[in-house]
Amino acid sequence: MSSTFDIAIIGAGPAGMAAAVTASKTGVSVVVLDEKSSAGGQIYRKVTSSPLENPEILGPDYIKGKALVEQFDDCSAEKYYGASVWHVGDNGEVLFSRDGQTHSLTAKEVLICCGAMERPFPVPGWHLPGVMSAGSAQVMLKADGIVRENAVFVGTGPLIYLVIAQYLRLGIKVKALVDTTPNSAYIESMTKFPGAIPQSSMLFKGLSLFNEIRKAGVPVFRSARDIKIEGAEQAEAIEFTTGGKQHRLDTDHIFLHQGVVPHLNLTRAIGLDHEWDKQQLCWRPVHNDYGQSSVEWISVAGDNTGIVGADGAEMTGKLVALSQLNRLGVITNAEQAVRSEPLNRQLHSLNRFRKFIDSMYQPIVEHRIPQDETTVVCRCEERTVAELKKGFEQGGQGPNELKGLTRCGMGPCQGRQCGHTVSELLAGWRGEGVEQVGYYRLRSPMRLLNLQEFGQFSEIKPINAMTGEPSASEEPSAKGEVV
Amino acid sequence: MNHLTPDVLIVGGGIHGCSAAYHLARAGVKVTVLEKDWVSRHASGVNAGGVRLLGRDLAEVPLSKVAMNLWQNLDDELDADTGFRRRSLINIAADEQDMNTLYARREKMHAAGYQHEIIIDQQELRERLPHVSDQCVGGVVSESDGYAIPYQSTKAFRRAAERNGAVFVEGEAVDSIRKVGAHWQVKASKNSYQSEHLLNCAGAWADKISVMIGDNVPLTHSAPMLMITTRMPHFATPVVGAVSRPLSFKQFENGTVLIGGGSKGFADRANNRTRLDYKKLAIGAKNAAEFFPIMKKASVNRMWSGLEAYMPDNLPVIGESVNADNAWHAFGFSAHGFQLAPVVGRVMADLITTGKSDFDLQAFRIDRFERKVL
Repeated sequence: MSSTFDIAIIGAGPAGMAAAVTASKTGVSVVVLDEKSSAGGQIYRKVTSSPLENPEILGPDYIKGKALVEQFDDCSAEKYYGASVWHVGDNGEVLFSRDGQTHSLTAKEVLICCGAMERPFPVPGWHLPGVMSAGSAQVMLKADGIVRENAVFVGTGPLIYLVIAQYLRLGIKVKALVDTTPNSAYIESMTKFPGAIPQSSMLFKGLSLFNEIRKAGVPVFRSARDIKIEGAEQAEAIEFTTGGKQHRLDTDHIFLHQGVVPHLNLTRAIGLDHEWDKQQLCWRPVHNDYGQSSVEWISVAGDNTGIVGADGAEMTGKLVALSQLNRLGVITNAEQAVRSEPLNRQLHSLNRFRKFIDSMYQPIVEHRIPQDETTVVCRCEERTVAELKKGFEQGGQGPNELKGLTRCGMGPCQGRQCGHTVSELLAGWRGEGVEQVGYYRLRSPMRLLNLQEFGQFSEIKPINAMTGEPSASEEPSAKGEVV
Repeated sequence: MNHLTPDVLIVGGGIHGCSAAYHLARAGVKVTVLEKDWVSRHASGVNAGGVRLLGRDLAEVPLSKVAMNLWQNLDDELDADTGFRRRSLINIAADEQDMNTLYARREKMHAAGYQHEIIIDQQELRERLPHVSDQCVGGVVSESDGYAIPYQSTKAFRRAAERNGAVFVEGEAVDSIRKVGAHWQVKASKNSYQSEHLLNCAGAWADKISVMIGDNVPLTHSAPMLMITTRMPHFATPVVGAVSRPLSFKQFENGTVLIGGGSKGFADRANNRTRLDYKKLAIGAKNAAEFFPIMKKASVNRMWSGLEAYMPDNLPVIGESVNADNAWHAFGFSAHGFQLAPVVGRVMADLITTGKSDFDLQAFRIDRFERKVL
């Protein structure tokens, strides 16, 4: 065994698993790295080893992941769990931490499928303890069976309804749903509704979740805006308006959510070209129909390419694998085309539904681009809108100059929590498109790296010295961004 | 437009270009600065921020000493926050051999009449740096030294220059330079310029500008690497270096620790970017943890490098062109030019306005590597 592979896949979510299964069947050498202790990604987290007595309660969209996880477990790809990738070079070099040591491997083809993270929700008070993301609520539930009683859920998008429904099925009391989907979104999305009909079962699923929440008697506030979280040291209450009417709910647990955006730290640090997706209002790596990025041998799949959902992720993962196999000379152009065709067709159909979802749950401007001068934008360095505005006026016209002037985006999260906000804020102030403004110039390491471990880097252990056993050092909340 | 025909055209919006612009503009000279990216984009914005007199080459000491005095009041002079903090700088001796190196240096410095580098013993080293490893035997300290925030400092010079009438044009790369009669004709990506004087402060790109002016120079470029940790409890006030090992770090007021050491990554000048050499950068991490065991628990947050210009003798080029009139150079600072910026800008302004400088600039001549005899 060597530390060189035909294909290295970063992330064992649906995209990575599907790609690995497809590629490894042909006999090429595949390695899959994931920082968790098992495969599944965020969506199928611990689906084969749930801490819950009755994981079915989490819904069929979760349970169905079992099949893919089992297929993946059985496939011949090397699997490195507890492997935290901190550098991918545009030459195909992968550096990762595992059990307190840095290892390296190289691959002819690299697939980045690190999924999505929740979009920042920069409203006054969002940085206070007690405020988390709905996604992290779900991660706590799936991974550790931990829940929060009497929480207020705030935001928009399918995930928030799903998490509430999962809570309710477990008998956890939910204090309220403050739904920020504007009433106008329902009407506007109707124009795109015909595209959603082929996937009407998914549409129905969404509606039934909403009904489930209403039937359970959870107070629902619709078309909420002017959101403000109150509290000195910790969240104590949430204030908002609906139709001009002021509301206030006392609570010390608030879960925010307004959709997800691709995880950019890795693709940005590699230096791949990115573009602004006007439909999804997020940055994504530029890629062709087969997930190939601006660097020939680096591909992207799943939500890392722009949000496609779990089913879409599986399809894009397979599509990438086929194209990689072609470049590796394992399958012909014709075979790639034949096998890709049905996948492309399904993906196309899914995309029409995606347009509907994107339109329906598009977060409103004031929840993406903070209006209140005191709102914290960069949580790591605690920089407010007012401080950024001052930096902008002093010449911080682009994200990197602004970072240099204000330290916004310099903290441990590497701008994950503020990158999109800063791009959009600057675009507004400059009166230009987000595309012109750009994003932070990022570098490895992708995550915090222990100095002592890094210091031992030159004495790097070859990968074949590793056992393949899962690491014991998994952190429970992991990728779930604490919003 | 006025700024297209300045008295002095400066190529390069790094800290030296900005400082020269400030000193010239203050003297009433019409200045335009052309910057191909944005001001402070490369070495000036991303360096380690060391404000260091300690360990300077003898040829640089006179300039460095004056610069150090200027730094102490620079915020007031520029009416800005450069982030300068006087913290002292200690180079640590790891063994007796290092101490012998220091004694030899002291003899040389004393002979030249310089007294600012003070050798300290192990006990004093521990008093000044309580967390230093027991193995370290002593060191040398310069009290006036410290650090500043590079991006803020460069911006401070720029703003002060602008207040005095200097104009900065960003995103303006120089395509060609020629002399027609008494004037420099400079064609850049957006505009054409005409000026009486031309000042080359183009950093890692200065050899290209030199050649356009008519001076050859053996300049190379590289990518010195840095890393910074997340916030740590306060454990080191002085800036720290080592006598014979690649170690250099400073702890900022917010607790983050910036670790350098001079190891170099890969400079991809054509593409305006750098790549890191993680194995070499790791040596800096290892040394930091060995000299300061408390740092074993540190978390590296970011790593980076910038494009920097180097001369073969690690001394800058400061002075006049040898092949053209009214052309001037200030570049090639070889990873230690940040501290010199306040004084070199003044030197350039003096040279351009009076033809003279208070300093002996022989060691910095651009043609010092020209072979007189083959």
